[in-house]
Amino acid sequence: MLLNGVRTAALARGRVGGTNEMERTMAVSLRESVQLVSDPRNLDASVEEVFQLMLGVNCKRGSGPIEPEPESVTAVVGFGGLLSGACVFKSGGSAAMKIAAHMTGMEFSDVDDTVKDGIGEICNMLAGAWKGKVPELAANCGLSVPAVITGRDYNLHVQAPEFQLKHIYFFEDTGFEVTIVCDGLQ
Amino acid sequence: MNEIRALIVDDSSVMRKIVERALRQAGLDSLVVHEAGSGTEGLDLLKAKKVDLILSDINMPSMDGLEFLRQIRAQNLAPGVPVVMITTESSEDHVKQAILAGAQGYIRKPFTAEQVKERVLPLVHAA
Repeated sequence: MLLNGVRTAALARGRVGGTNEMERTMAVSLRESVQLVSDPRNLDASVEEVFQLMLGVNCKRGSGPIEPEPESVTAVVGFGGLLSGACVFKSGGSAAMKIAAHMTGMEFSDVDDTVKDGIGEICNMLAGAWKGKVPELAANCGLSVPAVITGRDYNLHVQAPEFQLKHIYFFEDTGFEVTIVCDGLQ
Repeated sequence: MNEIRALIVDDSSVMRKIVERALRQAGLDSLVVHEAGSGTEGLDLLKAKKVDLILSDINMPSMDGLEFLRQIRAQNLAPGVPVVMITTESSEDHVKQAILAGAQGYIRKPFTAEQVKERVLPLVHAA
């Protein structure tokens, strides 16, 4: 799975603000605050916040393993601007259905378009909440619209990232994985 | 409260349902909801129907929420109707852009029904 498409889209969105925003973007640097940007607690806090507010459940970081499932659902939201990379949400099909059920109040028997849509939105909110923890990122990093992939036996590979946070979380005995991949930092 | 006609614009059908549920939880029981999956669809809907409240996502494909808002104002499609932007973007810059484009309110995702109540109800009452 390649992240170039979502990253390009996020970069384009980061430019929506026009010349002034880009000029200011060029003046701000995240290089000196890489420790803050890659602080794993920001991701944990973002996941807990999104799941508490949108699903009404307590969600905590765990150490795995997640019960393997034949089908998995992956949502990707790209970052563009001061930081380029992506927020990747991955879960089994039943976990995705459970999340969508909490969001909508509906029951699901397969990973249909509503489930995919819900998982895409969760990933979108996680990406937004995570970048919102660092003021420079909140103002100077755009988000792509979510892309959702479903299937069996696939892996996500990112070449030589600047940094990567890959955490496993659980709510109500249901596990999922959230990864922040940064492959460029200005 | 009289019947409130709300237009909810979001490319995610799940988010549209969540926003609708939050509005009902906020006390808007007599709510008639029109949904649009894009800014373009929202503009078409506003040409055909009268609404009392507009809630729109910002980050959408083809026409984003800010352009949707600019088009509403430029085409004078919903004069006096409050517009609230609902988005994952939370920086001061994004809020300023939304206000400059003509939004009266701004809600950051994820949100609570209480936040929707605090930011939407005063606008509905004032309109």
